[in-house]
Amino acid sequence: MGTILIIAAYGVYAAFWIRFFLHALLWWKAVARPASFAGPAPPSSVKACALSVRDVVLFWRLLMVNPALWFGEWVFHVSFLLVVLRHLRFFFSTVPEWVWWFQIPGLIAGYVLPLSLVYILIIRRFSVQEKYSSPVNMVLLVLLLAISSLGLLMSTLFMIDVVMVKLFIQGILSFSWAVVPDSLLFLLHFSLVLVLVPLLPTHILTAPLVMLEAEKRKLALPLVMHEK
Amino acid sequence: MKNKRSFTEELSPKQVLELDACTQCGECLKHCPVQAVTGNAAVSPPEKIRMFREFIRSTDGLKARLFGTGKTDRKLLEDFAKAVYECTTCGACGQNCPVGIFTQRLWPMLRKEMVKRGLGPIGVQADMPQAIMNSGNPYDKPASERYKPWFPENVRVAERADIAYYAGCTGAYEAQPMVRGDVVVLNAIGAPFTMLPPEEEVCCGFPLFITGQHDLLEDLVKRLVAGYEARGVKTLVCSCPCCVNIMSRDWPAFYGRELPFTIRHITQFVAGAIKAGTLRITKELRETVIYHDPCYLSRGVGVIEEPRDVLRSIPGVNVIEFERHGLNSRCCGSGGAARKVYHENAIKMGRQTIDEAVAKKADRLILSCPACYAKVNEAMRGYEKQIRITDIMELVSGLITEQEKK
Repeated sequence: MGTILIIAAYGVYAAFWIRFFLHALLWWKAVARPASFAGPAPPSSVKACALSVRDVVLFWRLLMVNPALWFGEWVFHVSFLLVVLRHLRFFFSTVPEWVWWFQIPGLIAGYVLPLSLVYILIIRRFSVQEKYSSPVNMVLLVLLLAISSLGLLMSTLFMIDVVMVKLFIQGILSFSWAVVPDSLLFLLHFSLVLVLVPLLPTHILTAPLVMLEAEKRKLALPLVMHEK
Repeated sequence: MKNKRSFTEELSPKQVLELDACTQCGECLKHCPVQAVTGNAAVSPPEKIRMFREFIRSTDGLKARLFGTGKTDRKLLEDFAKAVYECTTCGACGQNCPVGIFTQRLWPMLRKEMVKRGLGPIGVQADMPQAIMNSGNPYDKPASERYKPWFPENVRVAERADIAYYAGCTGAYEAQPMVRGDVVVLNAIGAPFTMLPPEEEVCCGFPLFITGQHDLLEDLVKRLVAGYEARGVKTLVCSCPCCVNIMSRDWPAFYGRELPFTIRHITQFVAGAIKAGTLRITKELRETVIYHDPCYLSRGVGVIEEPRDVLRSIPGVNVIEFERHGLNSRCCGSGGAARKVYHENAIKMGRQTIDEAVAKKADRLILSCPACYAKVNEAMRGYEKQIRITDIMELVSGLITEQEKK
């Protein structure tokens, strides 16, 4: 089982980077070819950058259009980030100090994460305001809920040997494979993470740039037809 | 259908990113006028983006790179083309997009890709290039009838002037009270203005741009710009939001450099004249009026306050607002050339505008777009709810004294 998981982990890792490079290539091709038509680009400014940082960090645009969903999404993303940061201790052989800073917040976020996902699922499925549910997004939500719930179980009710987890992860990273931790919950948790990675939406990388463009466009709009 | 050409050929790098950045959250559906009248999520913005991502994968994905491009389901392509042409391109989806995708520009570019693949435009939209080549306008009406039926006898047009007026095809052929009002008000302001002869005032290119048929655009733009430049024009005034939009945003790109004149919407010009005291609205109007923001004027080029300034300058008038107004205005149904093909959708959207205006107890619905004017009037024919529909300059022209008109 451990060998299958290790091979799958390398496969998923490779697939992640192939996917990333294919996206980058697509974008690079668009940059390199002479544009068939490109309208005028709105100018950059410090204000646009500052506003886009607000948009990215606070999900401001979502707050403006759907405060109920915004609450769940923002809490989910922050807690997900904290949980990921907490997990970094498994990936460093010598854990940097800054990773330790995130251990307690990450632990608390581990409780919040599944709750926020349940909240989002309820809003998405049962609110009459919601007219559209992307099947992929629903799969992601359910998958994340399963992963986070399993993680929570392993840190509360069914404690796992974290040393074995670290050795297992370090083994994959250093190509000197260690035995997989003897826990069904961990096997499920890790397997589901391997399923999640190829499904991770690439908007995590591109949305901030699009938000910056949107702010630039918004600031430039009054100048289109008015005196500069 | 076997693909060799990448589906991203017509897209800018930013648009490639935008397609990737869509989170499929579906917030846009709440603001989409097509959704409001069809309820068909298959033609919604996130579905269109999802489908287009599939198409891109078929030409640029890993499988396509390793084993060559495969076949794209013809039916899926046709469904996509219908969905992208059913859109009114009002841009409300982008305005409310949590990521900020510029959909008012993205959809026309996806339409252009469909045109290149022989899947677009749809229906009568395909006749427009030939009609414009024949007669200079997408309605294929004779140039001799462009000004004649509505142009007031007492209004004089200068041969050369700093100011020019562009009537536009929809105004000239389908919303004549509007363009008549424009020239009456311009005349009342007193500054000389010029116009191109009817055979030279050809289509601005917007209907071709918005349906993805770009071949004639450069020629049309260069002809128009040369015509105004030859008349010494410094400011080109127009009342059609679609014309104003393409003139200010895209004409420089098709012309190849900055335009030798500035573009102004008629309400900007008139609001400026009222402020400067060169136009006075003396007659009183004891009415409650509701102003509808045209999508390509508000979201498109940010002209929001000036129409309201003009209306508020009318003595006695009470200006009220739609629930969705300004940058968040709701499409009247006539945008994106969709009204020519998806007529029933457009009528239903027009009636939503009428419904709200009636519910708010407005005496008059004020418009400032010839396409809105033509379509909302059409939507009211045979409808149980009725309201007086007036173009903003049609209204102003009726409230200035005969002395000022001369």
